[in-house]
Amino acid sequence: MVTLTTNDGEKFEVEKPVAERSVLIKNMIEDIGGDSEPIPLPNVSASVLKKVLEWCEHHKGDPVPPPTEANDAAEETRRRNIDISEWDGKFIQVDQEMLFEIILAANYLDIKPLLDLGCKTVANMIKGKSPEEIRKLFNIQNDFTPEEEAQIKRENEWAEE
Amino acid sequence: MLSRLQVNLLEDLLSWGFLETGIDRIMLNFTAGMTNHYYVLCYTTCYNYCTNTKGIAASGTVGRGATRGSANVMGSDLYNKLTDYFKRHLLKLRTACDSLSDLALIQFYFKEWTSYTRGANYVSRLFTYLNRYWVKREKDEGRKGVFPVYILALVQWRDHMFYPLCSRNNKLVNAILKQIENHRNGEEVDTALLKGVIDSFVTLGMEDDSAVRRASLELYKEKFQTPFLDATKAHYKKESQAFLAENSISDYLKRVEVRLEEEARRVDLYLHSSTTKALMNRCDETLITDHMTVIQEEFQKMLEADRNDDLARTWSLLARIPDGLTPLRETFEAHVKKSGLAAVAAVAAAATAASTEAGAKNDAVDPSAYIQALLSVHKKNEDVVEKSFKGEKGFGEALGRACKEYCNHNAVATTTAKSPELLASYINQVLSKSNKENADEANMEEALNEAMTIFKYIDDKDVFQKFYSKNLANRLVRQRSASDEAEASMISKLKEVCGVDYTTRLQKMVQDVTLSKETTAEFKERMRQAGDNVQDIDFSIIVGGTVNWPLNPQQTEFAIPKQLAPIYERFKGFYTTNHSGRKLTWLWHLSNNEIKMTYTKPNYILIASSYQTAILVLFNETHSLSYAELAEATQLAATQLRPVLNLLVKAKLLLVDGDQYDLNMNFKSKKIRININQAIRAEKQQESNDVMKTVEEDRKFVYQATIVRIMKMRKTLTHQALIQETVSLISPMFVPKVSHIKQAIDHLIDKEYLERAEGSRDTYNYLA
Repeated sequence: MVTLTTNDGEKFEVEKPVAERSVLIKNMIEDIGGDSEPIPLPNVSASVLKKVLEWCEHHKGDPVPPPTEANDAAEETRRRNIDISEWDGKFIQVDQEMLFEIILAANYLDIKPLLDLGCKTVANMIKGKSPEEIRKLFNIQNDFTPEEEAQIKRENEWAEE
Repeated sequence: MLSRLQVNLLEDLLSWGFLETGIDRIMLNFTAGMTNHYYVLCYTTCYNYCTNTKGIAASGTVGRGATRGSANVMGSDLYNKLTDYFKRHLLKLRTACDSLSDLALIQFYFKEWTSYTRGANYVSRLFTYLNRYWVKREKDEGRKGVFPVYILALVQWRDHMFYPLCSRNNKLVNAILKQIENHRNGEEVDTALLKGVIDSFVTLGMEDDSAVRRASLELYKEKFQTPFLDATKAHYKKESQAFLAENSISDYLKRVEVRLEEEARRVDLYLHSSTTKALMNRCDETLITDHMTVIQEEFQKMLEADRNDDLARTWSLLARIPDGLTPLRETFEAHVKKSGLAAVAAVAAAATAASTEAGAKNDAVDPSAYIQALLSVHKKNEDVVEKSFKGEKGFGEALGRACKEYCNHNAVATTTAKSPELLASYINQVLSKSNKENADEANMEEALNEAMTIFKYIDDKDVFQKFYSKNLANRLVRQRSASDEAEASMISKLKEVCGVDYTTRLQKMVQDVTLSKETTAEFKERMRQAGDNVQDIDFSIIVGGTVNWPLNPQQTEFAIPKQLAPIYERFKGFYTTNHSGRKLTWLWHLSNNEIKMTYTKPNYILIASSYQTAILVLFNETHSLSYAELAEATQLAATQLRPVLNLLVKAKLLLVDGDQYDLNMNFKSKKIRININQAIRAEKQQESNDVMKTVEEDRKFVYQATIVRIMKMRKTLTHQALIQETVSLISPMFVPKVSHIKQAIDHLIDKEYLERAEGSRDTYNYLA
């Protein structure tokens, strides 16, 4: 068992294979060896870690993805795959703030498939929406001048239907 | 410390100072306990350093390009600081190197290298985030000189540690070469240390490629392998010269073998495997190629003294050198030829000596001694090829050429027909009944196989065939074959080498004999049924086809003795009835008759030819006859009658007084059965001349038939091509002469089988 400590002081006891979905933790266990001390995660809060561990628990048996630099072709295939499994789809139905927190945590903990899941979800949210709708969705202020906006529109004409 | 870290988390995690302390701890004292806390904190610091936008992202107001821009600046800042750290760290190590040399330097270098690479590996893990985002993006954008953290560490070591060491008198590499020199001189060295350092040169050559970390050997080759190979050459040049000055070539070869093994092992011990080829080439050059001349000279002596181990060693060493074996093959070929000629010369000298002693004029070589001489040289050298030269093809061919040469042209074989004749005689001895040595089947088979070995080298196979068939006829007619199986086995061996055509007639002869046994039995049966009283004479006959048998009737009249006439007539009648249209020619001189001598005690039994019989039975009537009376009664020509009479006189059956021949009433002999039917010496000599004449005649037809066969297929050919094809087709049978081929072509043009193509001087057309 591995103990994880969040930045708000909560402790989580998880099985090693679950924790090792995080490449950070996996590398660390490899590097340091059989250290039974709790592992502090200063960038993750208890509420987010709980969610992340739920995902890790479900995916603990998955094959470990190869290191990024090892194979460009595999990386390409992974990126192009936009399918989301049923379980993952349900899992990621969270509010927007939690979604972003999960993405950040996955990035920090180096859990590539979870990061992908988060990013795909955001991509799906954007898909088919106008710039205005997107701004509204993510609460983004439009800081383009009208000239800049016109220019960008011209440049991207080809992408419209 | 932990609580302090936790309290001051925010400030510390953004500080390079904190990170540098961590890195320093890892690099300098890797073995000191690392905790989970410390590890995660270092990782987090790096992460936060690179993503120093956390606060903004969380608030949900992401500015355009802000994340990327600032992350970029921060990543590059961290990367530069890290580079700088490695540089400073290495500078300290290099200063420590300055006072070191030789083994101490190597030991220091290896110790530091080991902890540096281990540390760098660890640091690289902590900087995973930098590798994953910043380095990757820089590289994707094509920036050169940006490496993942571990490679960055190696590049720094190369630039700030390895290169400086190379530029200062190449101190490090020279120290290693010195160790290797010591090792070569038999001293103990720390091979694990050498391997570690030399491996580091390979690792340092590692270039970071976006896809794969490809190990490039350029650095290893340039900085280490080249000087190493030069040192190798210098070492072995000196050593080989010194060694050869004081030792024999034989010892030198042993030494070289040991050295080559050592060098091959050296690669496994501490060099990169890619060095094997270059190292072996360099050793081969210095140890073998540079001393090739003396080794080749010694090779001759090794052959002469049967130093088979040295031969094997020489072979395996020179086989490593391109074209190294060619001169050896030539030497070997010449040696085999010389040995063969010497062996034959010894046999010829022994024959001359023996005949001088015996006072005989005839210095004929014993076929068996001759063939054994040929064989012994072949066998001995074949063994050398098999054992010392690993049965290598080139040497096998050299042996073949040499054997062909000495088997066909030597002190005994002054003409190309001599060896075939002697070989045929040898086989005749083996297959004849009188041969006691080969009584046992296995020995006989062995002797025949040996004969075949020589047969394969014989040029004039057609001459051999003539003599063989003559001898075979003789064995069959005189019933002197030791074994029917051995005869069949020999014929099938010949067939295997020369094809069906070569042995057709030989096979027919054997068949004729078998069929004749049936004919004889049939004839006797017929006589019995007819109630014809011929039982007082036990008759058997061999009827052979004229074309198959190399036998001719003698040029003489012959009055068939009245005792034999009835059975002669009856068989003639029997045979011509069964096979109408066939003409029987009786070869009286080859027949055997048994005659019982009733006037002596005991009653001797003579085995005599029909001519002898014809003469002897005349003495049934009277005890004394004149030459003229004998000639009149037998009708034999003088050329036949004289020798036969002389033989009878010599056998003491007849007594001669001038022209008068008397029966020797007091004839005595140790044996009861006496064979007086023996070929006369002069006949033998005559025979071999006859054979050569028929061979010459036959060859004319072979030339013509071969040319016609080629032209029938090709229709049109140039003169040169026709000659070439003819030569290649005839060569397995005998060595064709171009002048004879030309004669044959002219003859065929006369006979209108060929014509010269119009408008061309050297092209022939086939005329159907």
